[in-house]
Amino acid sequence: MITNRELDQFIICKKCDTLHRKIPLHKGGKALCSKCETLIYRRDDKMIENTLALVITTLISLIVAFKFTIITININGLEQSLTLTSLFTVLVEHQLYIVGIMFLFLIVIFPLMILSSMFFILFFMKIEKYGYSVKRLLILLSHLKHWSMIDIFFISLLVAMVKLFDYARIELGVSFIALILTLILELIITKNISFHELWQKHDTIYGDDDD
Amino acid sequence: MIKRDNFIRCHVCETVNYDNENNLLCRRCNSTLHQPAYISFHRTLAFLITAIILYIPANLYPILISKQLGVNTESTIIGGVIHLWEAGSYPIAIIILVASVFVPLLKFIFLIYLLIATKYNVNSSRVDKHKLFYITEAIGPWSMIDVFVVIILSVLIHFSGVQVFPGAGATSFALMVFFTMLSALSFDTKLIKKEFK
Repeated sequence: MITNRELDQFIICKKCDTLHRKIPLHKGGKALCSKCETLIYRRDDKMIENTLALVITTLISLIVAFKFTIITININGLEQSLTLTSLFTVLVEHQLYIVGIMFLFLIVIFPLMILSSMFFILFFMKIEKYGYSVKRLLILLSHLKHWSMIDIFFISLLVAMVKLFDYARIELGVSFIALILTLILELIITKNISFHELWQKHDTIYGDDDD
Repeated sequence: MIKRDNFIRCHVCETVNYDNENNLLCRRCNSTLHQPAYISFHRTLAFLITAIILYIPANLYPILISKQLGVNTESTIIGGVIHLWEAGSYPIAIIILVASVFVPLLKFIFLIYLLIATKYNVNSSRVDKHKLFYITEAIGPWSMIDVFVVIILSVLIHFSGVQVFPGAGATSFALMVFFTMLSALSFDTKLIKKEFK
């Protein structure tokens, strides 16, 4: 039988399932998988502070993106704008309730839940309190992480704009910029953070026996 | 003595667990590590069959209906791609074709292959199967592009004379993507390892 401390020395690559023994890294170092060269872990001492700042910014820009006009089109003087409310009005008007509910969850609720739970995890870790809540939130986050589709929504927006290019004049709204900002920040956050590291920080801050 | 097969990775918190067939829960997050292999197998298969069934109406029913001066024109996914190709916007046609025709088909083929390969111990590299599963999980949500485009268009082209709105195909397509994602999520990567025992 192997103890937990010894087990913590191992890590399994999430892409090709190869078992590795961890080695200590220097500051800012990265460890790659020996078989498929995926990044498996790294050392970043300022991770919590940096990511917390990024998460707060992303949350604000996401709320801005949901609040204001994304794009406005103008066909021979007739104007129509795309906002979150006009989107749901149209879906309800055409009685597409299933698509509407999926859209509500994939674009609005899950991204907001992911970001806010990330905020609470990092904030609680920063003040080193509420170990049990952090654990529950981390488990919630690992179930939610597949279900955010903001990036896909943005690509769809670009495709729709290209389709409309010939017929209409398109004006970009405030939310369009906010959406781009959100996506870039989200990309930086996912590059910056990994679940493995979050759990490891959880273990070092709260110890193994918090519940 | 370290043997590779004795270690499993918790799919929730990514920690390494020692696998002695008795510990049912992850040592860190208490999520289930072991469940009888057939549960995961049957669940994946059930979601996959649902998705394949939904793929048929998704392609047969119109995904986009445009109403111009009282006349309805309906277009399916393939019809939309052909229309875009003829209109000369090749990049968009290719994006839609790949995202809404090839990606779902690839997912079906990958998942069927993984299920057959783990059930009947097909002799191929374990690492390749893990990579295949990783790809299946990563490309999954991208088929939603077409549904989102239709929704965005139906919001923007919403005048009294001309209107565009999603048809029944959009609902079944969205559900199809949802079920393929569930199917991929319920596939247990430990099934891949089973063949070595």
